[in-house]
Amino acid sequence: MTPRVRRPGLRSSVTAAFAIGALLLSVILSVGTYVSARHLLVEQRERTALRQAYADAALVRDRLRTPGTGVAEALGAVAPPSGATMLVRRQGTWYSSSLDQSGDDLTAVVRPAVADGGVGLGWTARTDPHSVVVGIPLPAVGAEYYEVAVADELDATLRTLAVALLLGAALTTVAGAGLGRLASKRLLAPLAEVTRAAGEISAGNLGTRLQDTHDPDLGSLVSSFNHMVDAVHERIQRDARFAADVSHELRTPVTTLTTSLALLQRSDELDPRSRQAVGLMADELSRFRRALEDLLALGRLEAGLDDSRVTVTGAGELARKALAASGRSVDLVVAGSTGQGPDPLVDVDRAQMVRALVNLYDNADLHGEGLVGVEVRTCDDRVEIRVLDRGPGVADEDRTRIFERFARAGSSRPGTGSGLGLSLVAETVQRHDGRVRCSSTGRDTAFVVDLPLVTPRGEEA
Amino acid sequence: MDDMPTRVLVLEDDPGLRTSLRMVLEDDGYEVVEAHAADRALELVDAGVDLMLVDLMLGGVDGFTFIRRARPVTEAPIVVISARDGVEDIVSALEAGADDYVTKPFDVEEVQARIRALLRRPALACPPTIDDEATHQPDGGPSQDEVVLDSAEGPLVFRPAAAQLLRGDREIHLTMTEYRLLSVLVDHLGRVLSRTALLEHVWDSGFFGDERIVDVHVRRLRKKLELDPTEPRSIVTVRGLGYRLDGR
Repeated sequence: MTPRVRRPGLRSSVTAAFAIGALLLSVILSVGTYVSARHLLVEQRERTALRQAYADAALVRDRLRTPGTGVAEALGAVAPPSGATMLVRRQGTWYSSSLDQSGDDLTAVVRPAVADGGVGLGWTARTDPHSVVVGIPLPAVGAEYYEVAVADELDATLRTLAVALLLGAALTTVAGAGLGRLASKRLLAPLAEVTRAAGEISAGNLGTRLQDTHDPDLGSLVSSFNHMVDAVHERIQRDARFAADVSHELRTPVTTLTTSLALLQRSDELDPRSRQAVGLMADELSRFRRALEDLLALGRLEAGLDDSRVTVTGAGELARKALAASGRSVDLVVAGSTGQGPDPLVDVDRAQMVRALVNLYDNADLHGEGLVGVEVRTCDDRVEIRVLDRGPGVADEDRTRIFERFARAGSSRPGTGSGLGLSLVAETVQRHDGRVRCSSTGRDTAFVVDLPLVTPRGEEA
Repeated sequence: MDDMPTRVLVLEDDPGLRTSLRMVLEDDGYEVVEAHAADRALELVDAGVDLMLVDLMLGGVDGFTFIRRARPVTEAPIVVISARDGVEDIVSALEAGADDYVTKPFDVEEVQARIRALLRRPALACPPTIDDEATHQPDGGPSQDEVVLDSAEGPLVFRPAAAQLLRGDREIHLTMTEYRLLSVLVDHLGRVLSRTALLEHVWDSGFFGDERIVDVHVRRLRKKLELDPTEPRSIVTVRGLGYRLDGR
């Protein structure tokens, strides 16, 4: 199994790119600076050592020319420069101004050049820090002069330089990362704006547009985004117009049919067979009409709640209104079992909520063997409207499914409702920040609409 | 006059619905005149009708325009029958002068009931509701011949028996529904009536009607009888409850 690698975000990528760029740049600059500075300093040091060695060699040679002067004596007469060791080799013997090191080791690097009769210049690691070694043949006195100068200043300078450059590189990298962060933030700011606008649009605020910009790079994004929203908006409006047109086209013929059927049903001239046929037509027509009304109501719900129609209403009044509107009279208990409590208030579109309740009553009659009662109670900050039937209840596995469009519980008779009733209830209740559920306990089945309780304004606690 | 059949105009461009409505209304004993377009309907209105059923979406002149043109000519109630169920449509039809609004598809019994309610003689006879009987005040009750609604300069006087509303010497014309609404408010002078109660009393449709019908009619009535309709002093809105008629 390969581990999942999460791709870094755009902002992190931009920041990292800036940081890496800054690091590379500063490393190249630092290394370049260090190399050239080192080269320059080393060259300078060698030149200084060479000049010093020439001067000292000339002094030693002059001493040795004086007859009777020994090498040790000649060396002793010349004051060695600080940090430097003077060495003279004559007839295979080493003479030194200090006794620390053996001349063979120290001067190995330049001896071949000196043996060839030239001036030798080189570095030895035998000392700490490194030393520059100069070898000068002194043929006039039959000797070789060597000077070993410890390059401690050079070393310290180079170390300081390296530390400074390293610090500089680190600072540059951090600054690069910061710059990257800033740049990405600026770059992504328009994206954040697009995200906000898209969020508002998906929340149903279709009037949202991005502000025009003079930035040519962003201009095309802004205009294509706005064009897209225009197109979506237009499409939604077209769909709504289409729904309105269809509704008009279907409503008038349905009205004609119901009116004509009402005429037929009143007629005394029908024989029993025809009367039965007319009855069947009337039943099917009312079902068709219910489906049409449910479809139109669902369409309206999808278009969103119209705030101007939402008012504070008593839940009991709603239940009563729905009972009256559907010509039913069953027990209605408001706010508790002991008599009539105050009617709990809810904030709803009355027409939509009454319609939803009528659908629940219809459902109780169609699938629940008859509506037996309606209860309105408060439960903390919620109001429950319980629609009770004496039906067999709804199987656990069907309890959420029955609220889907055209879904039916397994046991129910087919072809009795519009197939939209309960989904309309669910949708309506959801639009009002509520929930609808089915609860069955043994013989009691209840569909429960649960809505937020509204406290009347201006009421003292 | 009383034995003349009540004449109902059906303005509907769909011939099927027009015919079936005519048949139902004729069964109820009304004399029905039909029109498929607003121009023809206006001619029939001129000839005299007692009630109109009007569709809004018509070829040519639409229903809104018809209502606006017919309203100055007749006080007969107008019931809109329309497939349009938007709030704006309902409100603008009522503001144009319609008395009631039924959306398609409807049960014809519902339309019959509305027609009966609107044709009922504006009753001073409006029976007091059950809770009224206990608290009923003899003054301001329906038996009075004259109710002074506003005793300001040019007093506003309502004479139920004569179906007259006077501002000073000038008579204010009311449609049938406006008159019925005012009668009910006068019957309950000084008491709050909910919109549902008003729908029941005036339109006989407490549970079916749209409460906007009440709001628009109250607005229309205020325009006619308030000195300043934007700051009504007679018909007062009681927030969240309904309306109250104050006599002064």
